[in-house]
Amino acid sequence: MLELWTTYGIWTAMTLMYIGIIVGCVLTAVAYLTYAERKVMSAMQRRQGPMTVGPFGLLQPIADGIKLFSKETIIPSQANKIVFLLAPMLLFALALMAWAVIPFDKGWVLANINVGILYLVAISSMMVYGVIMAGWASNSQYAFLGALRSAAQMVSYEVSMGLIIVCVVLVTGSLNLQDIVEVHRPIWVQIMLLPMLVVFLISILAETNRAPFDLPEGESEITGGYMVEYSAMAFALFFLGEYSAMIMMSAMTTILFLGGWLPPFGIEALAFVPGIIWFALKTAGVLFFFIWSRATLPRFRYDQLMRLGWKIFLPLTLGWVVLVSGMLITFDALP
Amino acid sequence: MIGFNLIPLLPEIFLALTGMGLLIVGLNITKEGRGKEAAEIVSWTSCASYALAFVVLLGISWQPQIVLNGMFKLDQFAGFVKLLILLGMMTSLALSVRFIKDEGFARIEYPILITFAGIGMMIMVSASNLLTLYMGLELQSLSLYVLASFNRNSLRSSEAGIKYFLLGALSSGLLLFGISLIYGFTGSIDYGAIQATLMVLQDIPFGVTFGLVFMLAGLAFKVSAVPFHMWTPDVYQGAPTSVTAFFALVPKLAAMALLTRLLFEPFSALSEQWGQIIYFISVASMMVGAFAAIGQENIKRLMAYSSIGNMGYALIGLAVGTQMGVSALLIYLLIYMVMTAGTFAIIMSMRRDGRAYENISDLSGMSQTNPVLAYCLAILMFSMSGIPPLAGFFGKLFIFEAAVAGEFYVLAVLGVLSSVVAAYYYLRIVKVMFFDEAGDAFEGGLPFARRLILCLSIVFVLGFILKPGVFIASTQGAVAALFAG
Amino acid sequence: MVVQALAFYLFASILVLSAFFVITARNPVHSVLFLILSFFNAAGLFVLLGAEFIALTLVIVYVGAVAVLFLFVVMMLDISFADLRKGAMQYVPMGLVIGAIILTELVMLFGAWQFAPGAGQNLAVPVVELVDVTNTEALGQVLYTNYVLAFQVAGLILFIAMIGAIVLTHRRRPGIRRQVVSKQQAVRGEDVIEIRKVTTGTGA
Repeated sequence: MLELWTTYGIWTAMTLMYIGIIVGCVLTAVAYLTYAERKVMSAMQRRQGPMTVGPFGLLQPIADGIKLFSKETIIPSQANKIVFLLAPMLLFALALMAWAVIPFDKGWVLANINVGILYLVAISSMMVYGVIMAGWASNSQYAFLGALRSAAQMVSYEVSMGLIIVCVVLVTGSLNLQDIVEVHRPIWVQIMLLPMLVVFLISILAETNRAPFDLPEGESEITGGYMVEYSAMAFALFFLGEYSAMIMMSAMTTILFLGGWLPPFGIEALAFVPGIIWFALKTAGVLFFFIWSRATLPRFRYDQLMRLGWKIFLPLTLGWVVLVSGMLITFDALP
Repeated sequence: MIGFNLIPLLPEIFLALTGMGLLIVGLNITKEGRGKEAAEIVSWTSCASYALAFVVLLGISWQPQIVLNGMFKLDQFAGFVKLLILLGMMTSLALSVRFIKDEGFARIEYPILITFAGIGMMIMVSASNLLTLYMGLELQSLSLYVLASFNRNSLRSSEAGIKYFLLGALSSGLLLFGISLIYGFTGSIDYGAIQATLMVLQDIPFGVTFGLVFMLAGLAFKVSAVPFHMWTPDVYQGAPTSVTAFFALVPKLAAMALLTRLLFEPFSALSEQWGQIIYFISVASMMVGAFAAIGQENIKRLMAYSSIGNMGYALIGLAVGTQMGVSALLIYLLIYMVMTAGTFAIIMSMRRDGRAYENISDLSGMSQTNPVLAYCLAILMFSMSGIPPLAGFFGKLFIFEAAVAGEFYVLAVLGVLSSVVAAYYYLRIVKVMFFDEAGDAFEGGLPFARRLILCLSIVFVLGFILKPGVFIASTQGAVAALFAG
Repeated sequence: MVVQALAFYLFASILVLSAFFVITARNPVHSVLFLILSFFNAAGLFVLLGAEFIALTLVIVYVGAVAVLFLFVVMMLDISFADLRKGAMQYVPMGLVIGAIILTELVMLFGAWQFAPGAGQNLAVPVVELVDVTNTEALGQVLYTNYVLAFQVAGLILFIAMIGAIVLTHRRRPGIRRQVVSKQQAVRGEDVIEIRKVTTGTGA
């Protein structure tokens, strides 16, 4: 029994503790992301934003959380109950699962697997089920329309995201997230990847259903889309899942393009700052981009969204894969 | 890596590249609003590319060689069959150009799909690995499913496509199950390795036979041999006539060649087992082809049963299992292809007031209204039923000769009997044309391509007796390669 | 080892159960959801085998793309399985007979299963030494060399599938105004706006 404890028990306990820490951090980050979003948007729109709860309204997210907890969960009578309740849980669970492979600093990773980047793609491609199941189970036209829009949108943009990731993987020669961060990239390779960063940033907006690609929710057209029938905790789970997916996508951008926990632009003098700070700062920068585009851009029309995905991004990224691999072979720079 | 040599694949690579290039060109012409014209341009260019591929194929060495890690094999047998496939593709596409225009579904994808189906068939013929076999087969089948329902405004065409697709998928499943059993038993999917593994066995275990039976069932579907023939009449009738012509001309040839290589190369040690199966399939196909065709009213349906019967005769050549049998099989398929091309040229010309007619009764009194067509069709029907000096007679003669030489007397007798029965329905068409009351005339003035193909077919059928040696020699040369190793 | 065995039985039993529910579920959408669950568990089994690349590809391709579209179609079509099943009962005896025959045959087959003497040798031919490469690299090393023909033909097959889908379904509807960005950009003010002097009181 003791042997079993030493082989598995300690390991399990440690892992559970790490999971607890990560989940706690992510949830706090989500809470304060909503606060940041409201503050940034209000600053852009020349207004105050949350002010009254706590100093500078800092306790606002907690108040919101308590409000959602204490409300009554309403299940529509015509809804498919099991699927209706399963959908938000699935979305939330997936959004948290993705964090297992994210390296926050050198060696700070829960599961350092060989194919980490594929794991992230797999998780983000499964998120769509939460949305589809919610839309279908609600048994309401608005919800269903939102679900269909979301499914089409996420599947479309995943293709170009996948191709961009292929570009990065070509350059780094590994599917492991730590290796992707650490492999040295020559300057010309970084310049080659710059356009892909732009496309990737736009694609993650679409992948997370954020403005200006928030057609699945589209409150002015389909009154909230797939979430229309949800309330209280079920709604909160969607909300948490969605924001945690946003942070996850930002972390992914940081790892793929922005050098993860390494100091910016390879400046050695800045190496004294702990890696996790850089990681957090970079991720926050990408999150700011999310909020910024929400505050500035009008919503796309559905055909424009599809056109952008299939007719512009797909050929562009596919061509870029060919270009990058060709360049790597020509200059003998394959990792 | 071993054997990275793309020379033997040149015709396939060439066709694939032209197919993709023509798709782009065609789409650009269509975009300018010249859709009808685009289809015509792409069709004729595709025809020319088949001719070029033909030349390329003749230009490369046919000395047996296996390339790409044993996936692909070019030898005299494959080369010869590929030439026939390219000829068949050219013929059927040339026949189609006017037809698809008249029927109003002239689109550039039609020739492109034919090109890719052709590539699939050429890969099938050259397969020397079960994986290549399956890939080629799927490429071909997928193109054919789409072609069958190409006239999507017609309910029958869509139905034909979906029927073909569902049953085709089922047969692919059987084939794959067979392949997996074979792999499980021998530990390899390479023809050479399978052959070597099976060669040393004293007695053949149950598992291998089982896998072989499943594979044969899947392939019998592709050559539409009884008892896997049910799709044929419906698909032949439902698909647009030009597509039916393509179905009748080429895919079965390719599937038959694939079957031949499969049985004589990897499974040569199991000849006792597959001999019985092929024997049964052959007899059943001949019988069903002969008897079920009798009551048919639709000429495309009739051609479907006729093809089932003809596959039965061709399979005799395999069942015999000798070099003579296989060369008779090849020459039989060649003759059948030429006769079918001519017949379909006439079927496509059965038009009146801008509509296509398909019933046998529509042919009545054709000898008075369209005498030239009537005489041509009569010659072709006599040839199909095997009346002496015509080519069809020789095809059957060689097959039965091979059967007798291999001491398969019962098979030969059954073959002769069923061809006597089959003669009834071929001759009934002649009777309807010459002795029934005349209906309205069909539109005269055949397009050039159709006229040319009909002419060539008639000349071949009539003239085969003068120089049969040429064809016999070339088929024997081709088959010799199969038996050399 | 205990953990591996436990994980295997967990994945395997959920896989079999969900596969069973795929065919017995009354609601087609539930069937598809169970199908997805079984894909997922199959991926889990691959992970246990150490084939993590295949496992994740299975999830990305089948769960993330194929099944989404499948679910999409099933939801849109709103099929009633009850109606479809009405006629099916009469085929049950026949189906049972055929199933029983195939089952007996398979039992006989695997009961008497033996490998050819050369099989081990065939299998032992090393594809790639899996000592110091990850299985992603190992796959890449054979996929684009030994199996390049199959890989390319698979590409052609997918290409044909795409052409086929477009040919059979795409219709150019008349009367639809499409957005052409270049045209929109090319519009000049003077082409579309006319500035007129309006004299007061004349009404025009």
